[in-house]
Amino acid sequence: MSPLSRLFSPFVSAVAACRARWLATPAALLLFSAAVSAQEVTKRWGPTEPVSTYGHRFDSLFNLITLLISVSFFIVLILLLVPVIRDRAKPGKRASFDHGNSLHDKRFTAIVSVIVFIVLDALVLVIAMRDLREGFWNDPLPNDPEVVRVEVLGQQWSWNFRLAGTDGEFGTPDDIITINELTIPVDRPIDMNLTSKDVIHSFFLPDMRVKRDANPGAVNEMWFESMATGSFAILCAELCGFAHYQMHGEVHVLSEADYDAWEAEASRLALLGYDENDAEAQWAWAWQE
Amino acid sequence: MSGDHIHPEPTSFLKKHVFSVDHKVIAKQFLWFGLFWLLIGGMMAMMIRWQLANPGAPFPVLGQLFFPSTGGVIDPAAYNTLFTMHGTIMIFLGLTPVLIGAFGNWCIPLMIGARDMIFPLLNMLSFWTVMLGGAIGFYSLLVPLGASEAGWTGYPTLSTTVGTQGSGETLWAIAVFFIGASSIMGGINYLTTIIRLRAPGMKWSDLPLTIWGIFFTAILNVLFLPVIGSAMILLVLDRMFGTNFYVPASIMSGATGGDPILYQHLFWIFGHPEVYILILPAWGIVSDLLSFFARKPAFAYRVTVGAMGAVTVLSAVVYGHHMFTTGLSAMLGESFMLLTMIISVPGEILFLNWLHTIWKGSLRMHPPMLFSLGLIFVFGLGGLTGIYLATISTDIYLHDTYFVVGHFHLTMAASALFGAFAGVYFWFPKMFGRMMNPLLGKIHFWASIVPITMVFCTMFVSGYAGMPRRYYDHTSAEYLRDIQWLNEFTTLWAFLLGAGQIVFAWNFIRSRWWGEKATSNPWEVGTLDWQMPTPVPHYNFKEIPTVHTGPHEFSNPRLGPDRDWISQTEEMPA
Repeated sequence: MSPLSRLFSPFVSAVAACRARWLATPAALLLFSAAVSAQEVTKRWGPTEPVSTYGHRFDSLFNLITLLISVSFFIVLILLLVPVIRDRAKPGKRASFDHGNSLHDKRFTAIVSVIVFIVLDALVLVIAMRDLREGFWNDPLPNDPEVVRVEVLGQQWSWNFRLAGTDGEFGTPDDIITINELTIPVDRPIDMNLTSKDVIHSFFLPDMRVKRDANPGAVNEMWFESMATGSFAILCAELCGFAHYQMHGEVHVLSEADYDAWEAEASRLALLGYDENDAEAQWAWAWQE
Repeated sequence: MSGDHIHPEPTSFLKKHVFSVDHKVIAKQFLWFGLFWLLIGGMMAMMIRWQLANPGAPFPVLGQLFFPSTGGVIDPAAYNTLFTMHGTIMIFLGLTPVLIGAFGNWCIPLMIGARDMIFPLLNMLSFWTVMLGGAIGFYSLLVPLGASEAGWTGYPTLSTTVGTQGSGETLWAIAVFFIGASSIMGGINYLTTIIRLRAPGMKWSDLPLTIWGIFFTAILNVLFLPVIGSAMILLVLDRMFGTNFYVPASIMSGATGGDPILYQHLFWIFGHPEVYILILPAWGIVSDLLSFFARKPAFAYRVTVGAMGAVTVLSAVVYGHHMFTTGLSAMLGESFMLLTMIISVPGEILFLNWLHTIWKGSLRMHPPMLFSLGLIFVFGLGGLTGIYLATISTDIYLHDTYFVVGHFHLTMAASALFGAFAGVYFWFPKMFGRMMNPLLGKIHFWASIVPITMVFCTMFVSGYAGMPRRYYDHTSAEYLRDIQWLNEFTTLWAFLLGAGQIVFAWNFIRSRWWGEKATSNPWEVGTLDWQMPTPVPHYNFKEIPTVHTGPHEFSNPRLGPDRDWISQTEEMPA
């Protein structure tokens, strides 16, 4: 047998075995229902529509991986089921004797693994690197006036947010401090500094498809940009004690005009209510890029 | 060789069955010990699933016994204890003793033709150390402020006094330390025995693949259990003696601060190899069993060994993929992502070899074979879904959701468990001299693989929908209420899975004492363990056998038409 035909012989035999109707019909049904159910699952019980610029990148890569591994798993399943059905022990039947040590066999294994690695892993790797560099790791520039900066302080069991207010400086009396409710503008990069007061928390925005740990003792960074207005869930994703499951809040995404009005009003109220003796409220840190 | 000083068989009950240095007795001790804890850990899983499907409803029947102060309701603190101890127990006290303790001890001397382990006393010490660890873990469930609540990963600062009070967490760390010490003792013993005590004529390429799997696991045990041991010592020092290895200065005002991320590095340097510590023996067992029951040589033996070796080496350099959301630098993250993807190559090679082994075989569908084929199925599901989590850009969303829970249960729990079941069904006749009931075995198989697939594949759906793990009650978050029915669905299948294991427990107990008597080689295989009489005599081999052929010479045309297997002690007919 030539190396090439040898290479494909198991697949050819698998296809040949499928010619038997009793195997082909369930196989086709299985493939069809798997495809339909994957779509149905995503549509009906999958996550909500992605809202952030990054979210669309996540969804498209997720779907691509789903497609690739479904095909791979289907091939594995066929190669598993064919011998299980066809090669049962029968009286007088003898297994073929093959140690699989020939050069052809080694070549087959090597070629298939390289192909699988390229199609499955390398492809996903390249897309992931592109997505990360263009959509997640490219932190907003320090002096970009478009960027809204937020300091996030996790604690058992709530999220504290601090916006710089109209003066754009953290640690000043007009800082807007909120608990479990974060208000941000639409279509502008939101740059975050995250840390924690006590144990590790993880800031999770399912609709934005992003998550970052808030570690005590160090400041972590993350950015995202919402493409739609509305209210979306904030969750804690890292076990942080027995009320971990109740540590959630909401992010309110406002239109640019609404946000400007909200920010001016909130900053004004913050200035009015500022109390320099309130140590609990003085947790701002110097912004870290 | 130790052959010259064979001690007479001990006669007292204590020396023969309790403080025995005989590897066969120790193997059985590990087996009973592991099965006991699998039962406890499994019951905890049932309670977890009950709470998730019926938040706040009293646990039926047993609830009044375990949670009397709340009238049978699992409160949030008890819930955290349940999933913490479920993970710890299943990994350290359930699967490790069965896969490594029991099969390692049973298979190594018998399959390589040795009279015992090379260090029998260390072997006994290894068992009693894990026993001590188990006892401490059990005791921690009873202390006043409750057992560990910080997850099986025990991340500081939650696991320091900042997050958890009382002695439960400290006892948990000490228990893990002792269990780790036991694994190190076992590892040293296994490695030395395999290297030094192989029967004359037994080349490295004559070792059954089971032994290779255990060999690689032992290497990982010896290298990486010391890391978790030191992480636990630092944690105990932080909790009891006021040090700050893991507690940053911002929390302990005035003190010199440590770093909670240090623990995560230490934990996962151990933790990722731990996944392979559990799966390598299962891979080894299954690689052998597929060949034994397909009556075909293991396809590309050397390539399989090489792939397992490559996994062993690579397992040490991929741990960063557990920490993609901690703030790991982009460069480190991308490196770990690439390395993680590379580890899939030896995985693919193993799959190809397994599928090739059964191709055109003559498959005997006994329970060990069913569970081996089942491993290919569940590991395929678990392994392929690992790609989502190895990829940083998708992991950012999926990390710490039920997607991860589904993935690692299919790989390290379902697959390792299937390997363990395959091994139990396979070696039971040699261990206890009786056959397990094959019909009950088949029922057990179908009552395991269908629910296990349903349970963990549903978790992929709920994880994808954004359901975080370790939540006491998912209905507390509004957007999760719509998918609460997924939790109920998962729980239903989880209970069916639990019920399926009753069949196994019944089969095991019944066959142990009342099963059909086994012949010395019921599976007709050639490895050395099946060439000796049942029950295996004291000191195994009076005469150390000489090995002439490999372990997988099935259906060799040179054997003639009457038989399709040959003992490893026999020379291949010309």
